Amino acid sequence: MYTEVLVFACNWDGWSCIETATALGLHYPASVKVVKVSCLSRVHTGLILKAFQFGADGVMLLGCEQGRCRFGADSEYIINEYEKARSILEMLGMWKGRLVLVRLPAFDGHGFVTQVMKLIAEVEQVSASKRARIADSRLTRGIAVPSHS
Amino acid sequence: MIDLQSVISDTKVRLCLDCGKCTVVCPVARYDPEFNPRRIVQEVLRQNGRGPIDEKIWSCISCSMCVERCNYNVKFTDFIRFLRYMALEKGTEIQYSHGGAPQTIMHIMAQRDIRQKRLNWLPEDIEISKQCDTAFFVGCAPYFDVLFGDLGVKTGEGSKGALRLLNRAQIPFTLVPNERCCGRDLLLLGDIEGFLALAQANMHEFSRRGIKNIITNCPECYYTLKVDYPKFLENWDINVVHITEVIAPLIEKGQFALGRLEQKATYHDPCTLGRYSRIFDQPRSILASVEGLEVVEMADNREKALCCGASPWAYCGAVNKQIQKERLAQAGATGADILVTACPKCHIHLKCAQKNAENNDVCQIEIQDICDLAAKSLLPQEVS
Repeated sequence: MYTEVLVFACNWDGWSCIETATALGLHYPASVKVVKVSCLSRVHTGLILKAFQFGADGVMLLGCEQGRCRFGADSEYIINEYEKARSILEMLGMWKGRLVLVRLPAFDGHGFVTQVMKLIAEVEQVSASKRARIADSRLTRGIAVPSHS
Repeated sequence: MIDLQSVISDTKVRLCLDCGKCTVVCPVARYDPEFNPRRIVQEVLRQNGRGPIDEKIWSCISCSMCVERCNYNVKFTDFIRFLRYMALEKGTEIQYSHGGAPQTIMHIMAQRDIRQKRLNWLPEDIEISKQCDTAFFVGCAPYFDVLFGDLGVKTGEGSKGALRLLNRAQIPFTLVPNERCCGRDLLLLGDIEGFLALAQANMHEFSRRGIKNIITNCPECYYTLKVDYPKFLENWDINVVHITEVIAPLIEKGQFALGRLEQKATYHDPCTLGRYSRIFDQPRSILASVEGLEVVEMADNREKALCCGASPWAYCGAVNKQIQKERLAQAGATGADILVTACPKCHIHLKCAQKNAENNDVCQIEIQDICDLAAKSLLPQEVS
């Protein structure tokens, strides 16, 4: 089972990090898919949740560092949408850490790979403990009858 | 599973006299001359479903004004729903509003292994019975408040108000932590598969918990659980009531009393509660029992109430905004301080119209949920 990660990368500093990682020959899993957008402010809650609906285990929003947005205002929009999407993930019981907002300086290939590997590791840890919990509840089913609460 | 001939007989469209009364009363047709319920029906019948499907089917807001007016009660809204289903089968892409977020949430909720944590909004003063066969169906209000928080929408206040009223009336209830969306929006969009997935998940959840009765404050959930679920699910035998159907009789019998509020309010009938479910009097008798609250009616009320202008989170545009503007203007003309509604979706749509107002030409009346208003009329120490 691969951990599928979708990266929404902005056309500017975010995309340059991924290009640098490729140019430097840095390794990251093939299950990381990248969608290039003009600016992170293009991404909204609907798109982020759609990625999860289609089976992404993690989503990374990769954009320019604060104050370096070429269009001027990505953080105003994306922070709002990021917070909304995180609250909804939490309510859906899907763990909000699956969604991360990463801001990197231009051409930071190493930074991108570190961040994406960190996200994969965290998601895998949570999924493993979730699987263990489900397995546990299957074992005890039929032995004890817990009250519905 | 569904074929044109059975839909034609169920919805009685063959009785269409081509008289055009539906089009006269249709709020969408008033602002969009291209939208014409009569023509849609006649075209489909003429071609026996083989021709291209009119794109205008997506403009219908399912307000049921046409069904109300039709001499032979032709169920145009159900017919539209089926045409949408056919269009989706042919691969039509729906133009979602709000980036499709509400529908995506519904589809995620329909997944089997989902374990929601949706009760974080619950205030401490509300008492919930652990073992009880009556459940309160919250609906999507917690999700709406996150999605539409920037409009200043607080539909959760309506749910809290409803729970406080039930507590005060000493009606025991439980909450189902993993209840799904009722699926009405998917059903209205013709996504029957998505709707069924949610409906089955809900039925499974309720039967697992031994739920026999459901109380809800959302008219959309109420109608779907009460009328649509039995049509689609064979084993659905849960009794569904709306919160106003619980509280209003108690007030009339003198077993329950609301408090005092010095305000002037007007009541907006949600389409699903009014025209669909015929609940017109109960909300009004609740409002009438609040001391000091002056209740005035809008120009269009009860069966003729104007819709809030949008329905299943799709195809919202200039026409919908016009309808919302007109409804808010009607509310403003009554001179009321508050527009009271019973539906979280009306609340959101009307708030959205107020927020997007250009040149300040939209009435900025305060919008409140009926349960929120009723609960707030009670004195704080009496609430718990």
